Amino acid sequence: MIGEVSHSESRKPVIQFLVIFVLAVYISQLIRLQIFNHTELEQKSMENSMKAIEETPLRGVFFDRNMKLLVENTPTYTVRLIPAEYRAKSDSLLESIMGFAPGTIRSIIAKNSQYSSFVPLKLKRGVEFEVIGWIEENIDKLKGVNYIIEMQRGYRDSIMASHLYGYTKEINPKLLEADKYYTPGDLIGYNGLEKKYEQMLRGTKGFRYVLVDSRGREVTQDKARMLAAIKGKDAVLGIDADVQRVAEKELSPYVGAAVAIEPSTGEVIALASSPSYDLNEFSYFTPKEYISKLYSDKEKPLFNRASMAAHPPGSTFKILSAIAALESNVINENSTLGCAGGFTFGRFFKCHGHHGAINVVHAIEQSCNSFFYQLIFKVGLDRLADYAHKFRLGRKTGIDISEESAGLIPTEHYYEKIYGPNWPKGIMVSLGIGQGEVNATPLQLAFYCALIANDGKSFVPHVVKGYLDENKKLVPASYEEVNTGVSQKTFDLVKKGMFLVVNGGGTATNIKTSEYEIAGKTGTAQNPHGKDHSWFIAFAPFDHPKIAVAVLVENAGFGATYAAPIARKMMDAYLLKGKTGIKDYKIAKMEVPD
Amino acid sequence: MKKIVKDYLGKFELTLFSVILALTFIGFIAIYSATRTSPNEQGFFFKQLTTWVLSLVFMVGMIYIPTQHLKTITIPFYVISLLLLIGVLIFGKVVGGQRCWIHIGGFSFQPSEVAKISAVLALAQFLTRQQTNIESLKDICIALFIGLFPVLLIMMEPDLGSSFIFFAIILLMLFWNGISMFGLFFVLSPGAAAIASLFGTYYFMGALVVIIGVLIFFRKDIFLSGSIVAINLAAGFFVDYVYKILSPHQQKRILSFVDPNSDPLGAGYNSLQAKIAIGAGGFFGQGYLSGHQTQLHYIPEQWTDFIFCTIGEEFGLLGSLVVIVLFGVVFLRLIRIATSERDKYLSLVVIGTLAIFVTHFLINVGMAIGLMPVVGVPLPFISYGGTSLLCNMSLLGIVLNIYKNRIER
Repeated sequence: MIGEVSHSESRKPVIQFLVIFVLAVYISQLIRLQIFNHTELEQKSMENSMKAIEETPLRGVFFDRNMKLLVENTPTYTVRLIPAEYRAKSDSLLESIMGFAPGTIRSIIAKNSQYSSFVPLKLKRGVEFEVIGWIEENIDKLKGVNYIIEMQRGYRDSIMASHLYGYTKEINPKLLEADKYYTPGDLIGYNGLEKKYEQMLRGTKGFRYVLVDSRGREVTQDKARMLAAIKGKDAVLGIDADVQRVAEKELSPYVGAAVAIEPSTGEVIALASSPSYDLNEFSYFTPKEYISKLYSDKEKPLFNRASMAAHPPGSTFKILSAIAALESNVINENSTLGCAGGFTFGRFFKCHGHHGAINVVHAIEQSCNSFFYQLIFKVGLDRLADYAHKFRLGRKTGIDISEESAGLIPTEHYYEKIYGPNWPKGIMVSLGIGQGEVNATPLQLAFYCALIANDGKSFVPHVVKGYLDENKKLVPASYEEVNTGVSQKTFDLVKKGMFLVVNGGGTATNIKTSEYEIAGKTGTAQNPHGKDHSWFIAFAPFDHPKIAVAVLVENAGFGATYAAPIARKMMDAYLLKGKTGIKDYKIAKMEVPD
Repeated sequence: MKKIVKDYLGKFELTLFSVILALTFIGFIAIYSATRTSPNEQGFFFKQLTTWVLSLVFMVGMIYIPTQHLKTITIPFYVISLLLLIGVLIFGKVVGGQRCWIHIGGFSFQPSEVAKISAVLALAQFLTRQQTNIESLKDICIALFIGLFPVLLIMMEPDLGSSFIFFAIILLMLFWNGISMFGLFFVLSPGAAAIASLFGTYYFMGALVVIIGVLIFFRKDIFLSGSIVAINLAAGFFVDYVYKILSPHQQKRILSFVDPNSDPLGAGYNSLQAKIAIGAGGFFGQGYLSGHQTQLHYIPEQWTDFIFCTIGEEFGLLGSLVVIVLFGVVFLRLIRIATSERDKYLSLVVIGTLAIFVTHFLINVGMAIGLMPVVGVPLPFISYGGTSLLCNMSLLGIVLNIYKNRIER
């Protein structure tokens, strides 16, 4: 049975045409992809398979001014898990080894499910050696679990310096968004020096280029394109480990702060705030309980009192009043003002003694309130404020740690804004003795004291002296010079007064020492909320000042009783370094109000 | 002697045979490259080589089987292949969500491949029957039924790619058999309605409106036109039903073709990676065994469904053109053989073979270059896959047989 093909002649060209047409369409699509889109698609192919693996550089460390290591990088274990190789039946064993709650591992894996299952997940950083031992013990049951060594910040020399150093922590999404240098999981400085000097400390990431297959497994390494990581720069701080340690130790029973500055350079020798917190708890993994404990503590351990707590400076401010008065020639060294146990301006303002006719030097020595009550009216509020600004009071000092309060020095304009043009002038009375609206931080008072010590010249206070170059040589950082423009004669007078505070008949004779000469000034900040705050500023040695200190003890009372001995111990630690047999001294029981 | 050689050559389609042999060699080269770095598929090269030897035996067997025997075995063969399709649904092994494989002893094969051949033979048989009137709606429906009954079973596996092939077989064979434009419209319109329904209700309604418009143009009687509208409606709903029984990954593949941005990292990913691979090949290719996309397994199923990517990436436009031109030669040769064949049955078998090869080629390569949805069919003679190679070489044998015994007009 042979049927005749009747239509093939007419249908053949149609089919031929269709076949050729479709082949032509395919060929043109191939030309489009392989010729016109070649570059773009080849690029995409490379992006697919070439993976840059970051090499984390070693973070720069901190040295103190004597090249003692303060903050280092210590190796720590990080336990990782490769989901593709890991078996869920190991969950309970691994959870008990790691000290995780049941279900933790499932949730960690689920959280990272969008990444390739061949990319290791970090389960926990900073794992104890014992835990690693247990993992080693069970390694055959824990397929897909391994550990690597990563660097963690290590703090040396029993120094906390929490507010000073700050801490490093895994970068948060917000910061990640802001700076393209970082990738998730990177550590970044979150506070203090670690934050301020992040760019210098972090170094430069290196990259290894590897070929990865579609499942994210490394196939080969491209040696030619390797880029080594560059270590972060090591910072040399002005900090003296001994002074810092003493300051922290002496402050620890109290709430307060202490700052020491080298007068000639502005270098910060010590900066301590109490209560403090443990930086070790912040590196990598911070327990929730620890955080909530810090936040609920009413003494606010996270608050850096050294640069943030602004309180009335009390009598330490009298030196500034004296400087302003002497410089504006409203008094001279011989001018005397009368003290009859107080001063009446609208109402009676008390002094703590009957000082009679008293000159400026003795007024500082005796901390005579009456003298300074009267002085402020001679100087005027704005002129006082001008001088205060010259000493970086009422404005940020510009220190190289992130957080700093400007304090407050009121001007006439300030009161006019609050009370109107006819503001009660009586307010001014207490400003002369550093009470009322006037506010300053321990850092500001330390720098103020350093400027007095160095006759009005210094550099903006700074913690970091510089960094070490490849040859371990210090490359100093440059800082803005500060010059108050106040005359030498004025400084001679006020410094004499400060000298007498400790070595004459002043308010802090309890810290007098035969080893070196101290000049200082006590202060008591009236505190409407509780006990007064105790202030003490000092510098030593008197002739060639090497250290200026400000100490604040909150809710303690009289300045000489609490703050002054701490300042003395800090100065001892600095000036008597290496000398044995530093005598302990008694805390004077002087219950004299300022 | 010279005469014998000439005589023999005159009876042997050397061009077709050597071109197809060349395609299988290209297949070996590509399969080796696509599988050598993946642990689960490393044995594929040698398996394919073994199957290839076996397929040559099949081909030779088909060359020498008397052509009238083809007609004799057509109906039993069709029934057996249907039974196999039913069998696979019962005994089949599930691979990748599809129940496509039957295992017997150490061997496994895909009944759907066999069913394609049997459908070609059965359709050819039916269309060459003396009493068959291709212009009658009843006979068109029977032809459709012969071709589509396997599809019903294959859809239950479900294997979307193979189903397309059957539509193409029916269409091309009916066309070759001289179906009228109205008949063609009758066959084509349900397909158009079905595809439109994939895009959504509005597209489906639009397609129905067009179909009704065309029906008015043809001015057929109201009963006929009404039935066609009803069939079109049914086709739309059937596709909707099929879409629902498809596995989610197949649904996504269809969705991603309808709307390429619907799932860029999922189903669209394969298509994108395939295009990247081919584009990365450029004019000369990345070099054999050096294509990143292939060697690092960015393309799924690169030894079967996406084998063209391996060729495109490693041998570039040059290599791709060689493959396309070789296929073009195969297609044109088949058309020529079908045209010159006087026996209607045999001519239809050749056209059915053409339909199988062309649609596999179009879907497979189209998938790789982003012109077709990712439905997964092998590239004839090149893709890894035993059943496919054996069936295609058998078809080649049949065609060579037909050529050898041709009754020229």
